[in-house]
Amino acid sequence: MQPLLRVENLSLTYPNGYRALKDVSFDVHRGEFLVVIGLSGSGKSTLMRTLNRLLEPTEGTITYDGRDVTHIEGEPLRKHRAQIGMIFQHFNLIRRHSVLANVLYGALSTMSALKSMTGRFTSEQRQKALRNLDIVGIADKAEQRADALSGGQQQRVAIARALMQEPSMVLADEPVASLDPATSHSVMQYLERINREHGVTVICNLHFLSLVRRYATRVIALKGGELIFEGKPEQITDEWFRTIYGDEAVEVEIR
Amino acid sequence: MKARPTETIALRVVAAVIDLLVGLYLSAVVMRVLIPRLIFDTAPAPFATMDMLILAGSALAVLVHGLLSGASPGRFAMRLDVSKGYALTAATHLGWMLLVTTVIAGWIVTGMDPVALFSEGGLAGARRIFTALLTPEWDILGDALLAMVETIYLAFMATAIAVPFSFLLSFYSARNLMSDTIGRRVMYIVLRFLTNFSRSIEPLIWAIVFSVWVGIGPFAGMLALVVHTIASLTKQYAEQIEDVDHGPIEAITATGASRTQVIWFSVVPQCVIPFLSFTIYRWDINVRMATVIGLVGGGGIGNMLIQYQGLAQWNEVGAIVIIIAIVVWIMDVISARVREALK
Ligand SMILES: Nc1ncnc2c1ncn2[C@@H]1O[C@H](COP(=O)(O)OP(=O)(O)OP(=O)(O)O)[C@@H](O)[C@H]1O
Ligand SMILES: [Mg+2]
Repeated sequence: MQPLLRVENLSLTYPNGYRALKDVSFDVHRGEFLVVIGLSGSGKSTLMRTLNRLLEPTEGTITYDGRDVTHIEGEPLRKHRAQIGMIFQHFNLIRRHSVLANVLYGALSTMSALKSMTGRFTSEQRQKALRNLDIVGIADKAEQRADALSGGQQQRVAIARALMQEPSMVLADEPVASLDPATSHSVMQYLERINREHGVTVICNLHFLSLVRRYATRVIALKGGELIFEGKPEQITDEWFRTIYGDEAVEVEIR
Repeated sequence: MKARPTETIALRVVAAVIDLLVGLYLSAVVMRVLIPRLIFDTAPAPFATMDMLILAGSALAVLVHGLLSGASPGRFAMRLDVSKGYALTAATHLGWMLLVTTVIAGWIVTGMDPVALFSEGGLAGARRIFTALLTPEWDILGDALLAMVETIYLAFMATAIAVPFSFLLSFYSARNLMSDTIGRRVMYIVLRFLTNFSRSIEPLIWAIVFSVWVGIGPFAGMLALVVHTIASLTKQYAEQIEDVDHGPIEAITATGASRTQVIWFSVVPQCVIPFLSFTIYRWDINVRMATVIGLVGGGGIGNMLIQYQGLAQWNEVGAIVIIIAIVVWIMDVISARVREALK
């Protein structure tokens, strides 16, 4: 079966000359829950931003759903981004706007600038936004200001916003790094749900191996911008752990 | 102490140029101001070839002296090494000479006259004008209030007309939104230059320009304020835009939204409150500026003030000054309150 995402020999050099990704290759198949691990600064966020082309690779190719998206621009680029939802460590909601509005912004790519800027979202769009809020269990907060919600709730709004795009894939860049352990699991379970029930492929950066073992169907590890491990979560032995995180590292658990 | 910069040729050339200018300045001040005014008490004679030679000579003297001995204020200013002993002393003396001649020349040029400030006649004049100011003539209250209202409206219209222009321009003058392509970067630089340039021209001067253009009156005053306000607000707005959190921009971009949508939905919501606050403050400033612009025929209360001043009707002037002070103070308080409430 053709993979949903194929990354081949991907390299990215930042304008200041720093090589954040070096010759990275991997495939992602439909329905996978792929977790990316690695030390801080290993290039995980850079990889995510390259996949939905917030960044442009310096070398290599990215093929998404059979189409080469490595250097697309303009309308095709926006179409590519629209089919990939993105979730961030700091939620990145529009703080002053309502929860419902924030979810509706997931549909911006389907509207003309003028129509969206004058706030003319259709009633179907509103219904759909409410349904997405319902999926993440906070439909009752729809009218509240986004910054009135707790961190975990804000991250669920971000998931609803991503769902609004009807994405085939979701990128989650350390989605639980600023949440407490219990809330972390709740957010991860929503990601798991959209992965299993809605068939959305997920790529997720995580720091805690216990979360990796619990949610990942497959794992890749980056070190200094290079891909050094690819396999099942249970294949991350103590030896691999030390290779990935360095000899000094000790595993901490989050339950 | 910070490390000295390495002695590049460029730094040495700059130091030498500074030395040249120091010599030129010193001899020019002594020749054109100090000697004629202090010693002969006359206006300086017209320039002669001899004067030019002396100027050039002393400039060269300081330069050559500096090059030979290392005693150079230029090297000092560029933080290059000035060798101890004679060189350092000489450079320091040159520095002191610069300061002393400038203070003396400044005293002469500004026509400082402490005698006039405290003389019998002077004090009598002060008493006369202050008594008149303190016994204002309230007969003109109605007219003055009308003129004040005109000034406030003028400031309001100038602000209102400028806001949409500034709003649009600010997005094109914000570095963080304009750095992705060469074309945008060029536009950013051009806009920044234009706004900085027009901001550096005082509204008073704009008022003179426009009073020639559209005729003396409130309209000229308003246009002057519009130009200045567009430039100032664009800069303030743009700086606010450069300060926004990048996260929401990234999030909205990632949904596949267009550039306009990204700015409208992620940048604008972060800016509206500060923008409002800047705008109210600008209106407040504009009321004060409109008063001053009135002095050169821009209409409103300033115009009325200059008329009564011209007629030496000091009691009326007193009333007008008091009204201006009260209104400006009230505007100040209100705008501060509103801005506080907006936070
Ligand atoms: N805009 C940029 N310009 C230059 N270098 C950058 C830029 N963004 C990131 N880097 C560098 O690239 C490397 C990888 O950064 P990246 O954010 O992808 O790491 P990460 O694995 O996500 O780390 P973390 O776990 O801390 O989020 C880092 O060394 C970082 O300093
Ligand atoms: Mg990161």
